[in-house]
Amino acid sequence: MLELVGLTRRFGHVTAVDSVSLAIPQGQMVGIIGRSGAGKSTLLRLINRLIEPTAGRVVFEGRDVTALRGRALRNWRTDCAMIFQQFNLVQRLDVLTNVLIGRLNHRGTLSSLFKLFSAEERALAIRTLDRFDLAEAALQRADTLSGGQQQRVAIARALMQEPRVILADEPIASLDPRNGKVVMDALRRINREDGLTVLCNLHTLDTARQYCDRIVGMSRGRVVFDGVPAQLTAEMVREIYGMTEDELEAAETVTSTALDTVARAAAAA
Amino acid sequence: MRRPVPIDPAEVALWRARLPEAFGVGPARRAARVGGWLALAALVVSWHVWFDITPKRILEGLGGLGTIVVLMIPPSPGEHWDQIAKDLVETAAMAFLGTLVAASFAVPFGFLGAKTIARNPLFHFSLRRLFDGFRGVDQLIWALVFVRAVGLGPLAGVLAIAVADVMVLAKLYAEAIENIEHRQVEGVESTGAPHPLVLRFGVLPQVLPVMVAQALYFFESNTRSATILGIVGAGGIGLAIAERIRIRAWDEVAFIILCILVLVAAIDAVSARIRARLIGRMHPALA
Repeated sequence: MLELVGLTRRFGHVTAVDSVSLAIPQGQMVGIIGRSGAGKSTLLRLINRLIEPTAGRVVFEGRDVTALRGRALRNWRTDCAMIFQQFNLVQRLDVLTNVLIGRLNHRGTLSSLFKLFSAEERALAIRTLDRFDLAEAALQRADTLSGGQQQRVAIARALMQEPRVILADEPIASLDPRNGKVVMDALRRINREDGLTVLCNLHTLDTARQYCDRIVGMSRGRVVFDGVPAQLTAEMVREIYGMTEDELEAAETVTSTALDTVARAAAAA
Repeated sequence: MRRPVPIDPAEVALWRARLPEAFGVGPARRAARVGGWLALAALVVSWHVWFDITPKRILEGLGGLGTIVVLMIPPSPGEHWDQIAKDLVETAAMAFLGTLVAASFAVPFGFLGAKTIARNPLFHFSLRRLFDGFRGVDQLIWALVFVRAVGLGPLAGVLAIAVADVMVLAKLYAEAIENIEHRQVEGVESTGAPHPLVLRFGVLPQVLPVMVAQALYFFESNTRSATILGIVGAGGIGLAIAERIRIRAWDEVAFIILCILVLVAAIDAVSARIRARLIGRMHPALA
């Protein structure tokens, strides 16, 4: 159980996240939707403690993680792995080393400095890459891969942390629809197969409806909707986005990131 | 939070069979690597023997150094402090003028030397070798040459600094230009702008802060190296230091050294602030 209690973050006099309270049971896949600037990214960063809250608490399995320092904080970060919009791989390192980076908090610093990873760790890294059909790319440099492949490497790196929670910040916003689908499928797979809680910021309603057990809508830092996809009425969509779903869909068609069009095209083919 | 790796040995063997290169280098490569390190160690040791570097000699040298340091205390400006002040200003001015001339010429040379700009491989190769040739000759050699050519004094020093640095800066500028982000250039190119203007608006704004920052580093470094150009008669504070060392006026040497330290620190502080502003957020009007 991941609990957010009155979580608040102010930047100057702008309140990016405004007393957000949520209780997320282990193994749930949650989509967070809202306009850009609604506080979605800030919320995920608050959970991972990349940003410190102004007020409120983050509680994981009964333990308050808001006040953790040093090693305890790093352990918490290992427990809640982040996936970024721009993948954030180290471009000049090979894919294998990028995935092994996920183990750094599990092993000795000195041997890591000299890249002395054990055969077990290497095998685990390749097995994890193989889950996403990337074992053969293990020795390539990260920057030789396509965006969709890089994001799957990032997911493999996250899994190497052996996390309990995955925080994905707009994981498909930089990808074309087809790669976006592959990455969302990968996230759902680790949610179902590994029992990981997945919190995922999404900017398209369709993707959230299609993949998530639960949708949280944010507007101006506040949670304005929290429920299953079926409960997301036209009225709610207007409150979250400030426009009707038709207008929103028209905008989405223009940006052509809606996933179901790809799914439909794939089904038709 | 060390955790055992959740995988069993049989599976490790399986993956090792499928992707052996991922499990580290083979014995041949490992032997070559160890051999390389051993060769390096042998070289370092053999040079110590050749130069007769022994702990005894180093300790004795430290003793001699100690005597000199004692003679330096307290530092004293001597009788000619006004001359020292003039020489210090002259040193900084030489460094500034020399660096300015070097940087001005290095900009066009840098563009010509970048293989992303001048695409002819033969031209690129020849120009880069020219850069290398000039860089192979040290500032002090140039100073000796220019003292013979234009006579004693700061002009020889300015020319020595300029000629020695122009090709070093050109090489650094060429590399900065080669490492720019191509997308921005493409954006300007796509508008149909003529080539020189693509360089002006797509390339220059990206490299200018780097160029100025490097020129400022060179100014600071040249102020330090200009202090010795005087020893060969190319102007600056060097002559004053050499004379005082000859007559063992160590207290006055110490005073001059302290003055140089203050001067260099002041230049460094000012240029660090300029660099930070340039790299941080250069005003669009300056780009």
